[in-house]
This record gives sequence, structure tokens and C-alpha cells, in this order.
Amino acid sequence: MTRSNMWIFILKRLVQGIFTVWFIATATFFAMHNVPGDPLLNDRATTEAIRANLQAKYGLDKPVTTQYVIYLGNLVRGDLGISFTQENREVNDIIRDHFPVSAILGILAVIFAAAGGVLWGALTAIYRNRWPDYVIMFLVILGISVPSFVVAAISQLLLVNVNDLFGTTVLPVAGWGTVLHMLVPAMVLGLGTMAYLTRLMRSSMLEIVSSDFVRTAKAKGVPPARIFAKHQLRNAILPVITVLGPSIAAITTGGFVVELVFAIPGLGRYFVQAVQQLDYTVIMGTTVFYGAFLVFMVIVVDVLYGFIDPRVRME
Amino acid sequence: MNSAPANSKELLLEVKDLAVEFDTYGGTVQAVRGVNFSVEEGKTLAIVGESGCGKSVTVQSMMGLIPMPPGRITSGSARLKGHEILGRTIVNGKEIRGSEIGMIFQDPMTSLNPTMTIGDQIAEPLQVHRGYSYKKAFAEAIRLLEMSKIPEAAKRARQYPFEFSGGMLQRAMIAMAIACKPSILIADEPTTALDVTIQAQILDLLQDLQKETGMAIILITHDLGVVARMADEVAVMYAGKIVEHGMVDDVFYRSAHPYTLGLKDAMPNNDPSLQHELKPIEGSPPDLFSPPQGCGYTARCPYAMQICSKQQGENTYLTEHHFSRCWLHNSASPNKPDQLYFKEGA
Repeated sequence: MTRSNMWIFILKRLVQGIFTVWFIATATFFAMHNVPGDPLLNDRATTEAIRANLQAKYGLDKPVTTQYVIYLGNLVRGDLGISFTQENREVNDIIRDHFPVSAILGILAVIFAAAGGVLWGALTAIYRNRWPDYVIMFLVILGISVPSFVVAAISQLLLVNVNDLFGTTVLPVAGWGTVLHMLVPAMVLGLGTMAYLTRLMRSSMLEIVSSDFVRTAKAKGVPPARIFAKHQLRNAILPVITVLGPSIAAITTGGFVVELVFAIPGLGRYFVQAVQQLDYTVIMGTTVFYGAFLVFMVIVVDVLYGFIDPRVRME
Repeated sequence: MNSAPANSKELLLEVKDLAVEFDTYGGTVQAVRGVNFSVEEGKTLAIVGESGCGKSVTVQSMMGLIPMPPGRITSGSARLKGHEILGRTIVNGKEIRGSEIGMIFQDPMTSLNPTMTIGDQIAEPLQVHRGYSYKKAFAEAIRLLEMSKIPEAAKRARQYPFEFSGGMLQRAMIAMAIACKPSILIADEPTTALDVTIQAQILDLLQDLQKETGMAIILITHDLGVVARMADEVAVMYAGKIVEHGMVDDVFYRSAHPYTLGLKDAMPNNDPSLQHELKPIEGSPPDLFSPPQGCGYTARCPYAMQICSKQQGENTYLTEHHFSRCWLHNSASPNKPDQLYFKEGA
């Protein structure tokens, strides 16, 4: 009964997700059509014949509705088209080559943000109105208000100094390849979200600490550590999990800047470049792909929520 | 125990001169102002009084459940089987909460952890205090649910609180509180949040379990009907003090304090021969930020005398176990209202 309900729930969310992705795809398509400019216009003079050939190659000579149908058809088959600016490069290849980098960075950042947010938030609640609370909450305000490119630059400066001090590369300042390359960018990327989750966890935990069922646990003689783990944490964490979906969105979209500063070959760079160069297929392809990815992550978070809160599972 | 009680039964819990304060932004609230009572093995003591009179704070301070700060136990002692428990929860290396004293609360809907199964929550004190394995504790939890008359206990144990009704939750709370066979069960308004038919069932259950296990019950309530049904002894509290104390018949039929009388007049009665017009007690309880010098009930008392506002009366024993804290019982009192009970020959 519970199990089949769960599957129906997941199925429903998937169908909703497909509609969301379709909407994103359609909106991007028509938005791109209304952007001024011409993808085939470049510095080199092209003859009318070459223009016509290129238009035919990319299907731009057909009416918009036909183009839309072709575009959707390709999308369903998983074909995002060929880049307008990079010769012979399919959008699928770009995503395949660079998305894993962004994904690893993003996942590390989300783990860092969630674990840190829960830990610091719980600490501030336990030490409410004492110095650990004040110190952490001050840092949280910093984390929320300082933009990530500033934090990224400062952390690079720190790394340079630390490496100088030890006369060896403790942690690389930029680049990609090993786990060591990932640590600092992931922290910088997750910092803002971590600060936000800390605040959320703090208020949620404060509510739980004075709740009736925690009093019951005390009256049962349950030791404080067990009360914290079994009664407080699991209930206090629910609001944090709720916002985890949007947080993943915030982190992945925020990844562009951090990838740029740390010279990480992620998808973000291509996304930004494509917009600058009006590379239509890359813009549409990466947007739809990111959209689908985020929709999927939100569904995952919802299912996760069901595992933690039994009241959601049964509905 | 040095002060041998007149009764042959041993005193299980003896509370003396307990006083509790709370610091608030508005000042210090003296919630409990010198409370004395004792509980005998296997007996039920009811503590009655209106909201805010200090009933709950009294028992919660004994259980270490009031947050400190802002709460503060300013004086007193509470001895369980001769051991001091006030201000500590571990006696002889053993946590007494949940093992020696069990407790149930007013609102079962919010008093259970929403993300833990009922069975796990009942099993928890057994794991914590008895060192039971999870499996053994869970099996015992099912047995306890059966004892608390929950049908299909094995299935119910695997469910979550939101799948239970209020009455069922209170049964589960009771099963949890008695899991380690405590010598005292504190029931803090156990039926207030439940509807009347369920109330009766819960009270029956408590009585049955008391017969089976021999535990003492401290029952906090403002419902005199519940008191009449359950209690052996009654302590009537007003403005942080006990104003009358006695066996249940003493307090009901030989009421000796004007406040007890006021409570009785304000209680509806189902018996047509005893029916009377309900008379609320006019006014409201005194401000415990600055408690009155004299008796807290003076402003509302129909028999108040001049001395009442200046000085608190002493406990006057009418029989060995029945006292009233009221100047009317002083030999110098000119007024002896008919409605109140006075010492024979006084």
C-alpha cells in the first residue's frame, strides 16, 4: 500500500516534470527567435548562395512553426543540434564533455552547504544567545551578503599565500583534475547556500527544542545526545530538505562565476559564451538540459522528503 | 526515613517547601511558593487548581523539565525513597526519569515525536534504562500497547503518531510512561485534551494499571469530576500554595477552605438531587509577579477578614490528614460560615 502510493507519487511528479521541461523548451525557443541578430552574419562577407545553403543546413529557411516542430522532434530524440559557432561540434558533445565537471562541483557544493547548514544551524540553536551563536550568525550574514566572485578571489589569494608559506602546493589555486582541485571551489560555490540553510536550520531547531515531544523525551530520561539525534535533528531538518531543491538550482546556476574564476572546464562557461556569441542551439540545448536536470533534482528531493517525514509518504 | 508516617505504608515521595520562580522581561514570577506534599506507595494524589496556580510547574520542577534559566528552584526538597531528586535527575548513577518516575502530558497529539513509530518511542526508555536490545524492547513495546488496550498492537506499533486518534495516542503515552515499571506516574492533565467518553476510558485504564502494577499516581487536573473518580488524597492549590489538603472525602464533603468551596460551586453536577446553580468564582487570581502579602484568595473570598490581606494563615489540621490554610479556622476567628467544615468542637 505504502510502496505503491510511493510509485504513483513519483510517476505523477515525473509527468509534471515533463510538462515543465516542455514549457521551458518552448519558451526558450520562441525567446531565441525574437532575439535581434542573425546567427549567420559574421565579419567575413558571405555571398547570398552561401547564406542560402547555410540556412538550408540549419533549417532556417522554413516557417517558425515548422522549425518548432522539428526542434521538438529532435529534442524528444535527444538531439540538441549542432553549434553555430564551433565547427562540427554537437551540443550533445559539449554537454557530455563538460556537464560532469559542473555536476561534480555542484554536488560537492550542495553536500557541503547542506551538511554545514544543518551542523551550524543546530549549533546556533543549542548555544542560542551565547557567543557561538553570535559568531556563527555574524559569519552567516557575511556568507549571504558577500557575492561569490569576491569570496572566490579572496580564497584564491589566501591559497597563494598559504602555498607560499609552505613552499609547496598545499591546494591548487585554479584548474581541474584531482579532488584537491575541487575542494575550495565547491566550498566557495556552496557558501551562500550554506549560510541560508544555517539560518533556516537555526529557526527550525529552536522551534523543535521547545516542542512538547522533546519534553516527553526528557521525561522518559533519554540522554541529551540521543534526544538531539533521534528527536530534534530529524524533525528540524525537514524545512531544510524542502528548500534543498531550489538550493540545488541556486548552486548550479551560480556555478558559472566560480567556474570562470577557478578556470574549471565546466558547462557554465559554454552557457555564458553561447549567449555572448548568439550560439542559438547551444543556448537552447543547455537551457533545456539545465531545466530538465533541476526538475529531476526537485523530484529527487521530494521523494527524499517522503522517506524522512512519514506524514508525506502516506499521502 | 526518620519521620515515621502515622500510616503504616511507606512514603514514596516527600516534597517539602518547594518554591520555583521564573525570570521574565516583566519581572520575576513566583509560580510555586512553598509547597509540601507526600505520596504513598500505590496511592493517587490529585493536585487541583485553576490554570496558572502552579500545579504543572510543581511536578515539572521535580522532573527537571522546566527550562533553567529562566526557571529557578529557590528552595525546597523532594525525596524519592529517601533520595533527594530536586535539581538533579540522576540518583545513585541512575536516571530516575522514565525509570522511577513516568510522566504523561496534556496534549498527546503534540507530545509524541511525529517522525518515530509509536513502537520505537515506547521501546526507547527500555533501551535507555534497561539496556534492552532494539528487538527485545520493541517486542515489549507491543506487549505494553496490549496492556494499554490498544487493539492490533503489533500492527499499531509500526505506525506513526499521525495515524492514531487522540485517545489512542494517550494510551500509547501511558504505555511509554509505564514501560520501565516506575513507582510513580505523574499525569499532567491527562484527559483535558480528550473528549468526554475517551476521558472515562483513559481514567479506567490508569486505574486498572495502578491495580496491576501498584504504582502511585500524581494526578494534575482542574476537573473535580476526575478527582472524585481517581484520587485517594487531594491537594488544592491556589496562587502557588496548597490551601487545603486531605483525603478525597474530606476535601469534597468536609471542605474547609473557601477556595475549595468556590471550586465545588463552580462544578456542574449530574445528580439531580445535588443540582445547584453554577456559581463562578468572581475575579481572577493574584498577580504572581508581586504576590500578595497575605492569603492569595483574599480579593475573591466572600469571608475575607482584615488579617487575611496582611498575613497568610497557618495550616490548621482538622483531622490528622486534613488541613486548611485559612484564618477562619483560627480560634480567634469571629466568623464560622456554615458552608465550611470546622474542627469538631471548635
